Amino acid sequence: MTNLNTQAFLSNGPQTCALTDLTDLPRVGFRGSDSAGYLQAHGYHLPSLPNQALRQDDGGWVVRLSASEYLLLGSLSDQGARVAAQEAEWVQGAQRNYLLPRQDSHAWLQVSGQHCSAVMAKLCGVDLRAEAFPVGAVAQTSAARINVIVVNVASEGVPRLQILFDRPSLAYFREAMLDAMAEFDGRLVG
Amino acid sequence: MKILTCPLNGPRNISEFTYGGEFKLMPDPARCSDVEWADYVFNSDNLAGVVTEWWLHNASSYWFLAERHTVSDQVLRTFDPNEIFDRRVEFTPAANPEIAG
Repeated sequence: MTNLNTQAFLSNGPQTCALTDLTDLPRVGFRGSDSAGYLQAHGYHLPSLPNQALRQDDGGWVVRLSASEYLLLGSLSDQGARVAAQEAEWVQGAQRNYLLPRQDSHAWLQVSGQHCSAVMAKLCGVDLRAEAFPVGAVAQTSAARINVIVVNVASEGVPRLQILFDRPSLAYFREAMLDAMAEFDGRLVG
Repeated sequence: MKILTCPLNGPRNISEFTYGGEFKLMPDPARCSDVEWADYVFNSDNLAGVVTEWWLHNASSYWFLAERHTVSDQVLRTFDPNEIFDRRVEFTPAANPEIAG
């Protein structure tokens, strides 16, 4: 059972190398030529380019996956309630703004600590070091041989990468991450 | 390792991509002959030279076009399909739909 009581370790120092399972936290996608206007009307700040993410005032993130596709990641501060409400209130109208349910399709892990890009370098061909992959950067790529979305959500000096991927692969990918983290004394913390 | 440059995601390992076939403009299904439609669906040119092909970046489900020389296997250019598909196409049902079978 995923434990959402994760605030305690999220503020840990940068020495840790920790894996957090955020899969139970709400997330949802929207796509279409009218999606940007729809989300802005609901108070979201949107990244200006594809493959970028922007932190919201409540600590959640909006990830722009293409010219017209957005992924909303819920905030721990409200346990994702705002994003869940956004999904619940969506109605298909004349607007070209289509709902992409992501709760059951994607799992969501966070790897944090100063070694997180070194851990990912063992699994992924894309350079995820902070110099090449700054805060708000997004990579849609392959890690441990499955498709993943990687988002740099570092804040307050603590490196953090959040990874979304096919939900049925959660048990496999979590083990692959923990195996890669073992040499850094990494562990699952929630 | 082969690297292909995705117009959306940048240079990536070729293992992240899936080939999607030759690029062909679709004939109007309501007006073209059966021969034209079958040619569009089933036949390939298999040209030795520079061809335009569909490719998919698996991780982002993003389809794009690539110009590739089929003899040297050199990719000359990759680009977003909106260079060609620059307007929305509304598909209206045919006035007299064919009855299958």
